[in-house]
Order: sequence, then C-alpha cells, then structure tokens
Amino acid sequence: MELIDYQDDGHFFSGHVACAGCVEALALRVILNTVGSDAMAVVAPSCSAVICGGYPASALKIPVFHTTLESAAASASGVKRGLVAQGKTETTVVALAGDGGTYDIGLQALSSAAERNEDILYICFDNEGYMNTGGQKSSSTPKSAVTGSTPAGKETSKKNMVEILAAHRIPYIATTSPGDLNDMAAKVEKAKAIRGTKVIIVLIPCLAGWGVVDDGAVKTARLAVDSGVFPLLEVFGGHDYVLNKTTKNQPINDYLKQQKRYRHMSVEQIASLQAEVDEQWQRIQKRVEVSSGFEA
Amino acid sequence: MTTNNDGTLLSGNHAVAWGVKLARPDVAPLYPITPQTPILEKIIELQDKGLMTVELLTPESEHSAMAAAIAASLTGARVFSATSSQGLLLMHELLHYAAGARAPIVLFNVNRTPASPWGFWPDQLDSLAQRDTGWIQLYSETPQESLDTTIMAFAIAEAANIPVMVNHDAFYVSHAVEAVRIPDQQWVDQFLPPLQLEHKLDTQTGRSFGAPIDQAAWNRSRREMCDAMTKVESLVSQTGQRWGALCGRNYGPLEHYRTAQADVLIVTMGSMCGTVREAVDEMRQQGQSVGLIKVRLFRPLPGAALREALVGVSTVLVLDRNYSPGMGGILHQELKSALFGMEKAPQIHGLLAGVGGVNVAAEHIQRWVSQYAQAEACVDSIWVE
Amino acid sequence: MVATDKQQASPLWTTTTSEVRLTGTWREAKPDYHVAPSPCHGACPVQGDIASWIQQVSRSEYYGAWLTLMENNPFPAIAGRICHHPCETACNRQQLDETVGICSLERFVGDMALTQSWALPAIKQDDDCSVAIVGGGPAGLSCAYQLRRRGFKVALYEERDQLGGLMRYGIPSYRLDRAILDAEIERIIDLGIDLHLEVELQDQAALKRLHKEYDAVYLATGASQSKNLPMLDYQQPWVLDSAAFLAAMSHGQNMLLGERILVIGGGSAAIDTARSARRLGKAVTILALEPEHLLPAQTIEVTEALEEGVEFVCGAMMQSTQVKDKGVQLHCVKVDFSAGAERGEFAIDVLTGSEFNLVADTVIPAIGQQVDMDRWAGLLAADQGLAQTDQGWQTSCRGIFAGGDMASMDRFVTHAVGMGKQAAQAISHYLRPHTEVAQVKTEKPVGFEAINSYYYPISKRQKQKQTELETRLDGFSEVQQALSDHGAMIEAGRCFSCGTCTYCDNCFYHCPDMAITKLATSEIDGSPNRAQSGPSRGIGYSIKSDYCKGCGLCVAECPTGSIIMREDSGCSTKQESCS
Repeated sequence: MELIDYQDDGHFFSGHVACAGCVEALALRVILNTVGSDAMAVVAPSCSAVICGGYPASALKIPVFHTTLESAAASASGVKRGLVAQGKTETTVVALAGDGGTYDIGLQALSSAAERNEDILYICFDNEGYMNTGGQKSSSTPKSAVTGSTPAGKETSKKNMVEILAAHRIPYIATTSPGDLNDMAAKVEKAKAIRGTKVIIVLIPCLAGWGVVDDGAVKTARLAVDSGVFPLLEVFGGHDYVLNKTTKNQPINDYLKQQKRYRHMSVEQIASLQAEVDEQWQRIQKRVEVSSGFEA
Repeated sequence: MTTNNDGTLLSGNHAVAWGVKLARPDVAPLYPITPQTPILEKIIELQDKGLMTVELLTPESEHSAMAAAIAASLTGARVFSATSSQGLLLMHELLHYAAGARAPIVLFNVNRTPASPWGFWPDQLDSLAQRDTGWIQLYSETPQESLDTTIMAFAIAEAANIPVMVNHDAFYVSHAVEAVRIPDQQWVDQFLPPLQLEHKLDTQTGRSFGAPIDQAAWNRSRREMCDAMTKVESLVSQTGQRWGALCGRNYGPLEHYRTAQADVLIVTMGSMCGTVREAVDEMRQQGQSVGLIKVRLFRPLPGAALREALVGVSTVLVLDRNYSPGMGGILHQELKSALFGMEKAPQIHGLLAGVGGVNVAAEHIQRWVSQYAQAEACVDSIWVE
Repeated sequence: MVATDKQQASPLWTTTTSEVRLTGTWREAKPDYHVAPSPCHGACPVQGDIASWIQQVSRSEYYGAWLTLMENNPFPAIAGRICHHPCETACNRQQLDETVGICSLERFVGDMALTQSWALPAIKQDDDCSVAIVGGGPAGLSCAYQLRRRGFKVALYEERDQLGGLMRYGIPSYRLDRAILDAEIERIIDLGIDLHLEVELQDQAALKRLHKEYDAVYLATGASQSKNLPMLDYQQPWVLDSAAFLAAMSHGQNMLLGERILVIGGGSAAIDTARSARRLGKAVTILALEPEHLLPAQTIEVTEALEEGVEFVCGAMMQSTQVKDKGVQLHCVKVDFSAGAERGEFAIDVLTGSEFNLVADTVIPAIGQQVDMDRWAGLLAADQGLAQTDQGWQTSCRGIFAGGDMASMDRFVTHAVGMGKQAAQAISHYLRPHTEVAQVKTEKPVGFEAINSYYYPISKRQKQKQTELETRLDGFSEVQQALSDHGAMIEAGRCFSCGTCTYCDNCFYHCPDMAITKLATSEIDGSPNRAQSGPSRGIGYSIKSDYCKGCGLCVAECPTGSIIMREDSGCSTKQESCS
C-alpha cells in the first residue's frame, strides 16, 4: 500500500470553519504544508477565504492577504513584487482562488499574470460553481449539472482551463485531486521549485453543491479521475503534456451516481457526457503523443 | 530636456514621473490611459536609463494594477501607480479596498471626463466620484506642484497609513510644459526615509489581513479611519512646511491668494486656479477686493481652515469643473456643508464652470464675480458660460 | 518627523489561530478506533491473529511475527505446509483479486524461526499444578505447549516411540519435511515437558491413576481405528489399511504388493496414500464417491496428484471384488453424489447400467478413521462415536478433558492444534479460575465493504514454487517450496489487515480538521513503499474532541476497517458540562 508521504508541519490549523468533510480544507492542508513556512498566501473570496479567515483568527500559519474576487493573480503578483523589491526573492507566493475567481471573473488577471510569467503559484480550487454563494453555475460547471442558476442542468460544457493556460506557455500547469494526496503534494513541491507562473487546478467535490455524502468527497474525487472526467495531468511550458494516470477504467456513471446534481440525467444525457469525456481523453492522448517528453 | 536657472522644462506628467523617481518607490503597477500615459512612459524611461529601480508591473487593467499595488504595499513596499478617468473608475472597488487595508499607496490621477460620451477633457468628476473611498485627495495646479505633491503624498500616506490620490487636470496640467525645479535626491531621501510599515505581511509574524470580520470589527475599522482622517489636515500642513523648509516651496491644505480683506472669494481646485489668479489680479487692479482660496486637500475637506478663511467674507464663488447629476458641483456641495452653522456665513454661489473641459477664461470669472457678488445665493449650482 | 507623525494603522490583522474555535461542537458522531476480527481470524481453527503477524512481516518484524503466530500455534512451519487454510477461503481479498497466501507466509515465518533457531520467551513462573496429556499428536502437543507456557507442570504420554501423531504417521514427508516436524516438536519439549514415550494407556485403571496423580488430564489419543467398507474383505493380503501404510511409509517401509494400486477415498489420506505409492513407482488409481470438484481433499493436493500421474475415478463406488489371475477385479458403478448439510454427510444414488471394472494388485481403503470409545465405557460418556465434552472440552469425568480427532469430526491438523489450545485455556481456568479468562469473540468479522480497496492495486497472489514434476517422483522431498524474501514481502503487502490498524497514517492525513493526533511515532518502518526521508509514522492515534467535526472521512479512508463512527454528543473536552 502506498503511504501518504508529505510532512505535516502544522501549517494549517484546526478550528477552521469548512463544512465537515470538506476536501478543500484537506487540499489546503496538503498544499500549505508542502509550500512551507517561507510563503505567503493571497486568497480571493471563495470557500477558501472563509476557511482561511475569520478575524481575529487565521487558519494559516503563513500570512494571508484576502483580496477581491477578480484579483487573486494580480494581488499575488503584487505581493511577489513587493517582496522581491525588498530582497525577499525566495518567498513562495501562493494564490488561492475558486473556479469563479479563476475561470470567470479572475480570468483576465490570471491571463495577464501568466503572460507576464509572474513568479507565483496559483491554486484553483475547482468545485465547478459558485458554491460559497449557495451553488450557482460558473463557466467551470460541467454540462448537465444542476445548480441554482441551471435548475434543468447546464446546457454548455465546462471551460477547458488547462488548454487556456497552456496557450500562455507558462512553465507549469497541473491538475490534481484530493483523492490522491501524494500526487497533490508532489505537484506542489514541483511547482514550488519552478520560477514563473505555475497553476494547479484541484478538483473539489463540494458536499453541499454537488450533493455528496459527508465522507464521500475523496471517493468522488477519485472516481472523477478514474472515469477520465478529471484527468490528472501536467503541462510543461504549455506544450508538453504528461498524463499522470494513464488508465481510464471507470464509466462516468459511477462518478455521476455519487452526486445529486446529476440525478436527473437520462440515459441519453449520460451517454452524451460519456462521449464528451471520451473525446477529451482522446484529445489529451494526442497532446501527450506529440509531447517531447520534456519535464522541468 | 531643457534646463536653465529656473529649472527644467517638464510637462506636468513628466514632473510627476520625476517626483516618483525621487520618492524611490519599490513597486509600480502601471496601465496606460490617455492622458496619463506620459507618466508611465517617463517612469519606464527613467528605469531604462538606470536612474531609478522599481519593480514595474504592466498588468492588463487598472483594476489589476491597483490590486497589485495594494498587495505590494501590504508587504511593506512603497508603491506608486497612476491612472485617469475610466481607469480610476475601473479601480473603484479596489480604492475602497486599499483604504480599508490602510495601504499607504500613492496614486496619481489625471483628471479626465468619464465616459459616456467619450471625451478626453479636463474634468474632476472621475476623482471626486471617489471621495467616499477613504483616500486622501490632493489637487495640483502646476507641474511643479505635481512633482512636489507626489513626493509629499508618500510622506502623508505613510504617516497616516491612508492611501493618497494626487490629481491634476488633463492637458491643462498634464501636458503643459513649464520650468520645474527637480529637487536633489539627497533632500528627498532626507524628507522621505524608507517605509517602515507597522502592520504588514511578514512570514515572521504570520499575521493576516482581510479575513472576514464581524459587524463590530468592521464598524471599528471605520471609526479608526475616521480618527486617522481627522489628523490628516494638520499632517498635510506639517508635511508641506517640512517640504518648504527643504526646498523653499510651502504647501498647505489650502492656498490663500490675495485673500486679505477680500469681500469676494473664489474657491476652486486644480488648473482653474491659474485662471482665477489672473482674474483676481485684474480685479484687484480695478479695486475689487477679490481673492482665491485654492483647495489642495479635498479629502478630508479642511473644514475648519475653510471656515476660518471665509470669516468676514460676504460672497463665495465656488467654481466646479465637475458635475454630479441631480446635485450639482461637488465642491459647492462640500463647502456648503463645511460652513454649516457658521455665524455670518457668506453667500455661496456654486458655478458649474468648465465642465467637460470647456475653456474658462479670466474674463469669464470677472464677469461671474460682478454678476453674483451682489446676488443672493441659491442652493443649487448654476451652469455658467 | 515622519516617525512622530505616524498614526496607528488599523489593527485589523489576525492575532491568533483558528484553534480558538472548537469545531468539535458541530459533531454528531465521532470516529472510534477499534480492533475487529478479520474473516481469516474468524475462520482460523487456532484463532490466529493473522492480520497482526502479516503486518509484522510486511514491516520486516519477523521475530515479532513469529511470536504472534506462536501465541496460538506452536507449529507455524508445519501449519504453513499442511493447513487446509479456511482463513484463505474466508479472505476478503478474493473479492478484489485473489486471497492472500496466508499459509505460504506462515511457512515463511515458521521456517525462518527454525533456520535462525529463535527461542521462545522464558516461562515466567512455575505452577504447582500438573497436567497429564495423553497423546503426542497435534492436539496433545498444542495443549502441552499452551499449558507449559502458563507455567504448569506437564507430563506427556505417547504410545509410539516418536511424537507427532498424524503429522508424522499420516502426512508424507513430501508434504511435511521430517526435519521441520522434529524441530517444531522439539521446541515444545524443550520448554520442559516430562515426556513418556511408548507408554500406552492400556485401560481405565491406568486413566484413573493418571487422574489421581495429576491435577488434570487431557486425552488426545486420536481416531486410530480405520472405518471399514462392508464390501471389502480386510483379511485379504491385497487389502491394506491406509493409516498403516502411511505409518509404515513414515518409517521408510514399503508394504505394497504389485504394481497396480487402487486407493479408495477422496480425502487427504487417500491422496497422500496415492501420491506416496506413485513415489514408489506404482500405477495408482483413486476411486472416490464424490465428483472431482467435491473431493474433500484440498484442491492443490488433487492438482498435484494429477500432475504426478495419479488417475482419478470419481463419482463411483466399488460394489464387489473378485480375485483373478492377474490381480483383483473390482466391480464398480457410477453414483450420483449429493453432499449433506453437515460435514461428512452425503447421499448417493447408484446409476444402474453404469457398471464398470477396475483391476488392481493392492486395494487401499482410505475412507476415514474412528475412535475406539469402548475402551472408556463407563468412565467417559460417548456421543456419536466421539468423546462427549462440554464447551470447555471437559469430558463427563471432571478433571479429564479431551480433544483432537477423539472429540471432533473436524479432522484437520490445525483443528487439533486449536482444540489443544482451547483445552489448555479450559484446563488453566479449571485449575486457576481467577487467572485465566476465557476469550469471548462476539464481534462480526470485518466485511469487504469496510475495506477501502482503492489502496490495494490489483496484485496477483505470490505462488510458491513447486519441485519440478520430473524429480518429484524420485523421492519424498517437499513439493511446495517456500516463498522468497521478496515474494513474502509482496504477499504480506497484499493483506488488507481487516480490522487491525497498520498505522498507515491515512486517517491522520485525510482529516480536513487536523483532529487526529499521532500518539507516538516510529522512525522504523519496513514497508516497501516507505520513502527514505518521509514523515514519522504514527504508532497509535487519538481523536481531538475539540476539533473533530465527525465527517467520517477517516473511516472512509481507513484501508483496514479499523475505525467506526459512534454517535457522539459533539461536546469538546473543554465543554464537558455541555448537556
């Protein structure tokens, strides 16, 4: 059995107010402990902001700057430049944002920071919607998913953020899942050592927003990976794709069954979603095939 | 760059850039916009020539520029940015954020008409519309003043832990060229020591800013801003005096021009003051007792100083190069409220003069003085030609 | 100056950590670490702590693993070779891929103990009480071992000249090397057993003398009488008793006549007989009532017998015999066999018209053994041909206990070992009622649904090597070869450790609330996936009541089913007065 092998040095404190069983908190734990003590966090309004904060207490050992929803990447750039100007060039600056703050309102700032190749580690906690406001759709919400603003299921597909970011030619993009904490820690560790803009998208099955049982988010996150809905991959320099888990051995139905947001789906809709996942998988395979095998 | 005994020929915007250079900011997030762009370009030029060292960020928007500015400031860095009009309006959300974070940023704004309709003309509505954001606002009349004020703004911001917005008018100041004395770097370094921010993002303390707070704490944050704001007027005075002691140019929250025994005072801000001076000189020559009160510090409005300045004055003409629809001239409104309860308060006429950058000449001002000096003031601002 | 002008900036900066918030009050249920029985443990005739010792193996704690094994079974090297392994039949892993090779691991550890001459811990105190054990087979030896460990004086009476019983006289050496057998028995005797070989308990008077002389007596004399087929004349020289044949084989004596051997029966004894005969170069046929898939012998035994050229005639029975010039002709018929509810029960229908003949030089019936209870008539009550015992293996005569084949139809070596252990516990309780507490096992074994199989990638069972078929029949050396060190490590790693915490730290790391504390940590970790510079592993955990929100992720992510949720008021330790 593979043991979990990152070191928890107490960088994330108990007493935060994440929902019981929330894997965003779990991911924060891995990320913060991997990033270490010479680091600062910039947090956009999101569940993370709620989890990290709650004046006068902080759940993080490192300093946190809570910024506005659209500004995570810009603020992180500012923190980094401020530190560099003062000679603190080694401090890791981590931006923490949700999918709303990344795929939607924060995309402009993120795109710009990526274009400038700002030396920041940007983490997107992708729970596929505006879950902190009660569950509305974002451009990360997948097709057919029911949210507060798509009561009959979303008609359009999830935005492909990896490809958008890859088009920026930044040194490192990765996806990871709370279903594999070692993968997450390894990717954060890798990103930390790279200069320039690094983006890690973490799939966060939201208990309330997706309709997952309290102890089921890790399992759901795993099924997302195993079914190919959320492939674990890395993109180096925007062009070299590495697929970390090369098998797609579960039908998406096993993944969908974990969640109430897909409960309404017909057999045809499931087949359509399966086709989309298969097509995405094929596309990634092609990207991997033409990659030169370069790794930072 | 032409330099003679009177100084160096600089546009208002280039004078700002020189002020920035002398203030040694650590970080400068900048986004171009007409008519601010020469500030950005000159700073980058000075950096390129090795005359200054600053972390330059050129993000995709003013919004991101200000977001970066706040964040950089909270690390303890000295931060400068510049913008105008639409850019300032795009920053609006973050102007509140900066003030709430008590980030001592200096932002230079070139006053320009906000769209729509599109225009690129001097008008102060863009910055006046930010009066409730919690920023200190200073208005400059000339390139020299813009340079000096830029440097003083850092001292004020860093002493008060309140961000400062310095404004000058599009083109009339921003692109007007005059001989500007560039102070010695040594003087400035003495005047403005490196920033030591008490509360900042620091891995040693691990303290965080901006976490969601309860009602009482939010309320307290505003009371603290209130306390801080009440000290700004004297801080601006002291800072102006310190600056004057170093380089001979004194500045205060207000500037009095030929106000002795004045019966009529014209109150205005920015480039309009130059025209008013001309008109005042003419009228004084004609024996009229007219003077100018130039408001340099608009926010916080130096109410006590204004009341004091207007004692014994029968008529005040407020010239507003801005228009707040449904209300009128903003300075007019501010002044009326500043004089609330004042015994023997003067008649205050609010004149909407030069809105949208239309030309206001000295003779216009003289005409208005003669037109309104004896008239009973009405509460509303008046459109004047 | 600037410094004096400086005003106090907003103090809206955090001053403390979120640990001031006691989120434990949110909780409705709380995880609880518990040790639950694994299915293998539940099925094990000696109630071995299988999950524990396999985990010790996976951590390379071999001596510890051996001691854990020795708690319940003094014969790990033997059991690792010949146990019928109901543990593997019960193993949860088969629902994922294949059962864990528990026997091969047990043998690995047992052999290592012998190779390295590992000693048992010294017996702590000697007791004045003494126990006589009659019968030196697996039950008697197991009981002797367990009593001696507890400090009792033990006298062991065996009517043959060597110990081991069925293990020696019934199981051929190609399945159980005699050096292994001798060594594991010797280790028991070396504990200080008063040994009396070649002493037969001839009559009831002798038993009564023992009963008087010792504080308790344990009878484990086995089932020494062969069951007889009514249609076979056992007086014929061509009829050979399988037990006698195997016993003779164990002494190297060949009792066979002729070249064609027919063995009747489908159990282990029949297969052992057949394969032994093959090793003597004979042509061997097995005639069994059961169809091949229902043969009572272990599948591996049947497979190996087939490999070795034993012919099987299954689903048939002999009806009569006729001696001919060229051997004995057996008149046989096909039968329809149906198994009964109880072990050993069955029904057959003769399929008329399916008659056929077999020819042999020697016929060896191997259809089972029975107990000669007549010997004890009047002293010990009998029940269905076995010694009647209560739940604590005490016979109708107080102070006399019985076990093994004599008291049970579970005719497997490890069952005998388990019975010996249970009897030892019962005798100990009988002699020292205040010290020995009977083990109560009420909890249900951990099911597959409690195991998080994500943590166990599909992994094929490590096969033990077998001696090449060509050389097997040359002699009586062991067929099954031990696992390699590497193979044992992989196989141990396949164990789900159902209900027994492996200190993998998964619960610790999957808690989003950092509400699990490692009670202590160990730098020693032999698991193969352990990174060289990884974190210290826990050796025990506790739940922080102040912070646990009761989400249950630790339970869901426990790979061994060692945590369960229990209802909980959600009070934190700091708010104990909360009602």
